[in-house]
Amino acid sequence: MRDFLLGLAFVIGGGVVIAVARTYPTMPALQFGPSLFPSLIGGGMVIGGLVLALTRVGRLRSAFAGPRSQTTSYDYRSLLISLLPCALIVFYILTSEFLGAPLCMALSMLLLMQVRGAKLWLSLIVSIVIAAAIYLLFSRYLLIPLPEGTLLSQILP
Amino acid sequence: MVFNAQTMLVIVAASVFGLFVGAIPGLTATMAVALLVPITFYMDATPAIAAIVATSAMAIFAGDIPGTYLNIPGTPASAAYVGESYRLAQKGRARETLGTNLVCSVIGGLFGTLVLVFVSPSLAEMALNFSSFEYFWLALLGLSSSIFIAIGSRVKAFLSLTVGLLLSTVGLDMMSGAPRFTFGVPDLMAGVNFIPVMIGMFALNEIMMFYGSRTEARHVPVMTKDSVFSMAPKHIRTYWRNILRGSSLGTLIGALPGAGADIAAWIAYAMGKSRSKEKEKYGTGHIEGIVDASSANNSGISGAWVPALVFGIPGDTITAIVIGVLYMKGMNPGPTIFMNGGGQVYALFTVFFVANLIMLPIGYLAIRASKVFILTPRKMLMPLILSFCIVGAFAINNSITDIWIMLIIGMVAFVLARNDFPMAPAILGLVLGSTLENSFMSSMLKSNGDMLAFFERPISAALGALVILIWVLPSLIRLFRHWRRPSQSSPENDRKNYRKPRSS
Repeated sequence: MRDFLLGLAFVIGGGVVIAVARTYPTMPALQFGPSLFPSLIGGGMVIGGLVLALTRVGRLRSAFAGPRSQTTSYDYRSLLISLLPCALIVFYILTSEFLGAPLCMALSMLLLMQVRGAKLWLSLIVSIVIAAAIYLLFSRYLLIPLPEGTLLSQILP
Repeated sequence: MVFNAQTMLVIVAASVFGLFVGAIPGLTATMAVALLVPITFYMDATPAIAAIVATSAMAIFAGDIPGTYLNIPGTPASAAYVGESYRLAQKGRARETLGTNLVCSVIGGLFGTLVLVFVSPSLAEMALNFSSFEYFWLALLGLSSSIFIAIGSRVKAFLSLTVGLLLSTVGLDMMSGAPRFTFGVPDLMAGVNFIPVMIGMFALNEIMMFYGSRTEARHVPVMTKDSVFSMAPKHIRTYWRNILRGSSLGTLIGALPGAGADIAAWIAYAMGKSRSKEKEKYGTGHIEGIVDASSANNSGISGAWVPALVFGIPGDTITAIVIGVLYMKGMNPGPTIFMNGGGQVYALFTVFFVANLIMLPIGYLAIRASKVFILTPRKMLMPLILSFCIVGAFAINNSITDIWIMLIIGMVAFVLARNDFPMAPAILGLVLGSTLENSFMSSMLKSNGDMLAFFERPISAALGALVILIWVLPSLIRLFRHWRRPSQSSPENDRKNYRKPRSS
């Protein structure tokens, strides 16, 4: 079922790529231009997606025809927890300018450790120490301008 | 010039630095070398070059450490065989794998150095003969291999490849300057950087898998019998041909301008699998799968110095930085370097030998210490890696866009990996996509749109024939088998063949 849906997703994605590529200009000296490769890739996505979807049609039919208990149930709770790191990356992107990179990283690490049942005191110490170490290493030694954060810059001298 | 306290101390310190940078996912050997440049200002020529050589060689090896323990390659050059290393580690053979990796890296590095010393001028000359036609076929060869070496469905491997190729088209078009798939984001004009994509595909994907799994079980068991070097001599004896092939291929690919250690590793892995007698074991944790590629990536480092030294043309990003350092130190790269700076050139060769040999003791200590990856509970380790991923993606261009790219690619990779899509073709598509397109467009402009021009040059024609053979051969074999089957089988045989499995 998932392969069938993914195949369809590739077909739609390929169609969109081709449609967008058609808007690119062609070069006067040649019959083709910047649209050639994206169009070929889009075509490949459509064909590959179709092949993937069509080869799963038979299995899909038998899955629907069979008893309902045979259809696999999907663990939505696990899926939601697996999206937590992504949500924390978005949190970092949106708040690091204000909170600062070390605080954002410490909060993210603390939450992730707590989700998997680590001891609170240990998670707290590890996340603070590691966040501070990463910040110092990257910003002071490797000279990467990690956001200090307006919050910290107001508190710290 | 080399065997003095200062240079030796620099080599050791640079090796430790390379080890640290290479073992952190997202930080590359190129980044390690770039960070060294300001420090080399204050050094003499020989220690400065020694620092760069030792750092790059060690960083390439160190990339294997997180790859083996966590399935997250430390550097792009380790991505080709990360699956094999990780599966071997799951069988309790982590140290054995890393020990073999280390020995192969040292042999590959020494082999590349020997080539650098003895055949650099002629090899560089051959690499210079490559035009856009040859590069087109070389890129297509790499991409075709990625589909045919992939484990599982070839359709899925092909679709994975299209994802990588699509990412490679993002940015300004080389020929017309038209922006493609940039969505008005200025940071995307220069294209999608390889590093955030790699972090997303391997590291973020792995972190998401961990949080979705609900288990804290250690994926890599600790075995008391697992020793670093005890099995290495046996593996070297068994796979000496693979090491030799990987080393020579790596040196050759490294010497091609634009193709670095990562491409060398991918092609060596593909070549190793295609020539192996145990193809079915690839992807299940097979030591042969890492021998070719780990020799190739380190020999590629030395190989890239060939055109850099002889012609002043960088073989990869590291040697692009090196050329600047060489000029700064008064060693002008080019044919005259052998006449004007003879002594220093031979000191440089010696540095290569020493830096590769010193990898053995330092690498050994690093492998012994890397047990921290398995002793640390994953619930404590994964959040730490996520922080490194964010900072590593940001550090490439100091841009938030790269963190967004890592996030989006990580989510796409998570969906694809959960449905058994291989990731390797996507990575290779991104690496080789721009080479493929640019060389195709340049060739078409040169030949006024004549497709036959792709077969007019001898090397180009040979590479083209090889690519066509790769695509056609599986169908030909299937046709041949289909043609032979009816003549050999009879209704009686068919009945027997059908009943046989049921009776057993």
